[in-house]
Amino acid sequence: RGCSRSTRVLFHEYSIKAAILIQRWYRRYVAHLEMRRRYTWNIFQSIEYAGEQDQLQLSSFFSFMLDNFTHMNGNGPGNKYLISHLLDSVVDPLTEEVRQLKYEQIVVPESYCGPRLSFPLSVTDTNALLSAFKEEQTLHGKYVLQLLYETKKFLKQMPNIIYLSTSYAKEITICGDLHGRLDDLLLIFYKNGLPSAENPYIFNGDFVDRGKKSTEIIIILFAFLLLYPDHMHLNRGNHEDHIMNLRYGFTREVMQKYKTHGREMLQLLQDVFSLLPLATVIDNKVLIVHGGISDKIDLDFLSTVERHKMLLKYVLFHMVIICLIQVVDILWSDPKNQSGCSPNSFRGGGCYFGPDVTQALLQKHGLCLLIRSHECKQEGYELCHNGQVITIFSASNYYEEGSNRGAYVKLGPELVPRFFQYQVSRSTRKLTLHQRVCVAEGSALRALKEKLYAHRSDLMAAFQQYDIDNTGRISTSEWAQVVESVLRLDLPWRTLRPRLARLGADGNVEYESCFEDISPGEPIPPVTPNLAETLYRYRTDLEIIFNIIDKDHSGQISIEEFRQTWKLFSSHLGVAVNDQTIDDMARSIDFNKDGSIDFNEFLEAFRVVHKLVIKEQQQG
Amino acid sequence: MAPKKKEEPKPAPAPKPPEPEPPKEPEFNPAEVKLEFTAEQIEDFKDAFQLFDRTPTNEMKITYAQCGDLIRALGQNPTNAEVMHVLGKPKAEEMQVKMLDFEQFLPIHQHICKAKDRGTFEDFVEGLRVFDKEGNGTVMGAELRHVLATLGEKMKEDEVEQLMAGQEDANGCINYEAFVKHIMAG
Repeated sequence: RGCSRSTRVLFHEYSIKAAILIQRWYRRYVAHLEMRRRYTWNIFQSIEYAGEQDQLQLSSFFSFMLDNFTHMNGNGPGNKYLISHLLDSVVDPLTEEVRQLKYEQIVVPESYCGPRLSFPLSVTDTNALLSAFKEEQTLHGKYVLQLLYETKKFLKQMPNIIYLSTSYAKEITICGDLHGRLDDLLLIFYKNGLPSAENPYIFNGDFVDRGKKSTEIIIILFAFLLLYPDHMHLNRGNHEDHIMNLRYGFTREVMQKYKTHGREMLQLLQDVFSLLPLATVIDNKVLIVHGGISDKIDLDFLSTVERHKMLLKYVLFHMVIICLIQVVDILWSDPKNQSGCSPNSFRGGGCYFGPDVTQALLQKHGLCLLIRSHECKQEGYELCHNGQVITIFSASNYYEEGSNRGAYVKLGPELVPRFFQYQVSRSTRKLTLHQRVCVAEGSALRALKEKLYAHRSDLMAAFQQYDIDNTGRISTSEWAQVVESVLRLDLPWRTLRPRLARLGADGNVEYESCFEDISPGEPIPPVTPNLAETLYRYRTDLEIIFNIIDKDHSGQISIEEFRQTWKLFSSHLGVAVNDQTIDDMARSIDFNKDGSIDFNEFLEAFRVVHKLVIKEQQQG
Repeated sequence: MAPKKKEEPKPAPAPKPPEPEPPKEPEFNPAEVKLEFTAEQIEDFKDAFQLFDRTPTNEMKITYAQCGDLIRALGQNPTNAEVMHVLGKPKAEEMQVKMLDFEQFLPIHQHICKAKDRGTFEDFVEGLRVFDKEGNGTVMGAELRHVLATLGEKMKEDEVEQLMAGQEDANGCINYEAFVKHIMAG
């Protein structure tokens, strides 16, 4: 190169110095990214569990109504509708034969080019379904009804607990929650092969809700169930329930995709879900249930319960039946590290069970391993209780793109678990770690800001208690304390503060700035800000209640039903609303002036927008 | 008879002058560190410390392996050597096993915070300019990858990938001022 030796040595020294400097900075960059990734995960998890705590709120409302039923104005239709809607079993006057004939007579137009199923199903049918769904086609309602009907017939003869064995060479594959993520199911089939006699599968519940392809998932799972009844097994999850589906999106998805037959499908689905087995046992050694166990569980007793009567609505009405408690425990419990068994306050049902409870149950029944799902895990799976409990979760990117992997576990005759992980990548262009963290973080922070917005009055009242001189500012510690106590989310608030609120010149937090980014979307009906905030906060609960009232799933309820419901709900919440305000509100959202309210439109009015996101979109 | 003249033993080759020993760094003594953090800062550190605490019962402890990450997440950028020094030069197998609590963490973090010569934007740019052969504000991505993986406190291949992802243009060149801004912003 023509450099003298000393120049080269010098250059080399400079290179090393430069390299070390860059490496130092890089490692700092990575650590900071890791911190952001961690708190993003914490945010998603806390909000999810808090949402399930809201379920408690709803349940206490129902029991409030039950308590007050006799005292309420006999003319009031609202409460009567709710209770009767809830408690009536879906009585169908049709006999089995008539129903079967009815479905056969549904005409499928020539123009329909999707799969045409014929029963009993064959491999041709399942292949056709998989291809069709990959192409984003929809299965015609007729076939969905027939499939659901056949599945119901099949499940009726199944016991509560299914006993399997691994023959000499067969490995059984166990998958966890899918939550409507079709891509994950297809990825599992791609990596691990389709279900067959040589390739048995167990799907451990929560097939539906949250994701957008729940219908496709259950169609595929039920089809394989009918095709390979000895090699395909489905356990019930806590989301295989009508009330959960009303809240978490499956009901809405079915009604949107199947306008004509959706209602009947939902009725059938209620039955099908309630008939899913509760547990599977492999080689009398491995117990597989969706949620977990408790110190009350007894498998022999569980085998005898009438599982199709174990519905969440009875829990909501605090209709305590002993066997119902055990079933709720199976579907809702989570493991914890401390010993003992305590009520699962976050979920509103089931228990937290410790390693001693696991040990006791496994010993009682001569088992060696518990496999369960129900909780999202970063790596798709996690072991606890000294390896006696495996959590397996199969919906990757559950909270957001890049949030977690999915996994499945395989068990052979030696019963040594082998784990397989994967992650669906939505974009064709592979995102860098940095991009993935940014996307997930953005989503988590938006969800957190919405929480802040939904509790604005409570937060402001608490902030102002610290701000005696009315400066608009309080210390970081005070801010963090208020937010944690009002929102009841255990998060690193001080670390998050820079992303949520501004500091004033004196280094204190300008507390009102944490609401700046959010504003109401559509112009809302004329209500006071307080009422608007309450409506926003309880949007989901109201949606469930309206959906229950709207028995034929038309999306409409009468003004009278609306008034009564809102009156009840607000008196339960302790929100003072006078009759005139409710009347005005009801009339203003009766857009067609025909005496009925499209409650989906009403609820839409209480969505919020994130101003920063709009700004980015305008600039982008 | 005259004694046979013993052959003179060949003189032993002159011993190589010993490599000048690097000045022996005194062992890190946490008791000698004076904590100068404000109460607010300590609360901030505690907040972040809890984020890294992965003990099942939230005991406010982190592993030795996480210590460096936490210090860096809080805004410092020590070298790996500096981190190992303040940890008392633990063995590799101890890193995932030995724990420290928040009280033990503070003097370690304080020591790192006090160290001079943290490196500014200009230092960083200067460091990269070494590789700017044509003096036009760009460096060859390939050369930078090679250096980062083979010199100094070597990075692993996938770490280099993550760092460089999306930074090179069509010719494989990196505009290093933009690159530095990107790293410092993260």
